[in-house]
Amino acid sequence: MSDSSQANDTKSIGKDLIGQLSGAVSGASDHSLGIVGSGASPPHPPTRCLRTCLNNDPGQIQARGCSWLRAAASGRLDAAGLHNARCPYGFHTAACPIRVNGNTAFLLAIDAPPEDHTPTGKPPAEDRYEQVLDELESLSGAFEKVGQLLDENEGLVDEVLRSYEQLNLIFDFTQQIISFTNADEIEKVLLRRLGRLLAAQTVLVVGSQNTYRCYDVSVGKLISDGDASVLTEQLTAELEALRKSRSISVHSSASAHIVIGPLVRLDDRVDMVLASRPPDGDEFTSGDLLLVESLLSFGGQIISNAESHERLRRMSLESTRALVAAIDKKDHYTSGHSERVGYLAKLIGQRMGVPADQLRVLEMSGLLHDVGKIGIPEGILLKPGKLTKEEFEIVRNHPRMGYEILTPIASFGEVLAGVLHHHENPDGSGYPDGLAGEQIPLFARILHVADVFDALTSTRSYRVAFSPEQACEILCKEAGTKLDGEVVAVFLEMIPGLHANPPEELAAIFSSEGTDTGLGGPALRAKEVSHGAG
Amino acid sequence: MSRILVAEDDPHILRVMCLWLSRQGHEVLEARNGLSAWELVQQHRPEILITDINMPGMDGLGLLEKLKGYAHAPRGIVVLTNRWDHREIGQSLAEWGVRVVPKPFSPSKLAELIEQLDRPDALPEVERRQ
Repeated sequence: MSDSSQANDTKSIGKDLIGQLSGAVSGASDHSLGIVGSGASPPHPPTRCLRTCLNNDPGQIQARGCSWLRAAASGRLDAAGLHNARCPYGFHTAACPIRVNGNTAFLLAIDAPPEDHTPTGKPPAEDRYEQVLDELESLSGAFEKVGQLLDENEGLVDEVLRSYEQLNLIFDFTQQIISFTNADEIEKVLLRRLGRLLAAQTVLVVGSQNTYRCYDVSVGKLISDGDASVLTEQLTAELEALRKSRSISVHSSASAHIVIGPLVRLDDRVDMVLASRPPDGDEFTSGDLLLVESLLSFGGQIISNAESHERLRRMSLESTRALVAAIDKKDHYTSGHSERVGYLAKLIGQRMGVPADQLRVLEMSGLLHDVGKIGIPEGILLKPGKLTKEEFEIVRNHPRMGYEILTPIASFGEVLAGVLHHHENPDGSGYPDGLAGEQIPLFARILHVADVFDALTSTRSYRVAFSPEQACEILCKEAGTKLDGEVVAVFLEMIPGLHANPPEELAAIFSSEGTDTGLGGPALRAKEVSHGAG
Repeated sequence: MSRILVAEDDPHILRVMCLWLSRQGHEVLEARNGLSAWELVQQHRPEILITDINMPGMDGLGLLEKLKGYAHAPRGIVVLTNRWDHREIGQSLAEWGVRVVPKPFSPSKLAELIEQLDRPDALPEVERRQ
């Protein structure tokens, strides 16, 4: 609700009240009472005047009313008009100034004899004037009180509505905020909300290195650093002092009203938040400060949690990477393999519409899919020739071994299925469980394709690398039997893009040097796709 | 401007809503529970109904049940609900053409809704349901 519409509403209820009051007092009094003046629109002249002079049309005051009525209606009734001014019909009059909606109006009384008494032009007895005046004075006191109460009431209703609006925004905000896990997103939501709650024009974060993040509330996007520094240049010292004391303060200058408060993040880093209103806007109130304080401390907690969550996640990812890299290093031919499988699996999953939080699981599954190889003796792992049946059984045991290594780690629970089943084939010929088709978990199917592709495009102890094109041909051939058809199809769609614009993570595969693009290509060792890949 | 019936058991919320709506020029009727709201609907045939769900005696859902079969039901119905069940209730009432607003309500959003319902071309709920 805008300020202007509120102002209009105030007038309309005032209007209504004057109508109701004049109705009430004219019925309760021997005299005819009315209210006119700039504060009373439309005017309510006394019924007596309405009937005898105005033809029952209150709009006729300026044209047909007596000078007393006209002066009252235009707000220029002087002292002489207040006490027994001249009425053309000789009735006693009295007037009393009052305030209505902050404007001047006059409470008017005219001696109204009983209905059957027709005006004669002769003034009634003088003692009736005293009566008129007494009644008017007590009425004006009461009227003034009612007006005050009404103003207060209006203010209270507005205040309550504003609180409802704020409460609603706060509820929305808390509901919305818990669905975000990214600290930057939360900050954005927090600051926009704060801006709306405060009816601020701009909300600005000043980081500890004097970095700005600035939100123009009306358009909801970042404004330029130039605009931001205009707001802060006078306040640098103040900002640093408040940052130390972690307190809130308010400033009003010719250019803006500003409120500043601390947003305490992880590791006790304190960002300062500024919200500004234009100089012709309202100053910030103590209620606003309370709001800033509670939202910033609540938001700071949530942001710190998200940051801490993110830090732990990164730490776990980094330690996993280090572990996996160490395993891959056992065999220099597989160096970087797990990283690439994780990355490829993530790309495939993305294209298949896997949601963001599950993509992390998928990437992690890729990183860890071969962790069981730690249990394979190097003699077997690095053997250049053909493996014996027993040796081959040991190699085939690596998914199960990986599964067993990871099972005790509760937070890896979601990656287990992919690790255990990344060598299962759609036709049921894979291992360890011989699952077929849809029985194989989706992540395992994705990992299998990523794994085979990376294995084919890497040089191994027994052959040189295939080019991506050759590898794709092999994937095509195996689709539906050894590899999941849908995953292969999605993967092949990605290849032209990867070729045109190879990401850094896949440079080993897609850079033209180092891969054999010659015709024919290296000889494929028997069953490499279904058994020995990775 | 419409004749609006507000059914709400919290006297303060009821008071504020009624003052606010009448200030906007609407004719406002107030009820503290579903039963007296139902009586007022029959007596005065309001064009818009704003009702709470949780009320003593007949609650908001009971009131809506009554209105389902009533020929002179308000043409616009807004239901105020608690936040935690508002999605559920919203879904069950959406096909009915009833608007659902979570509490604490946003006056500006409610005002927007009422403005939509206030237009004379707003279809009566009864017709929209058929």
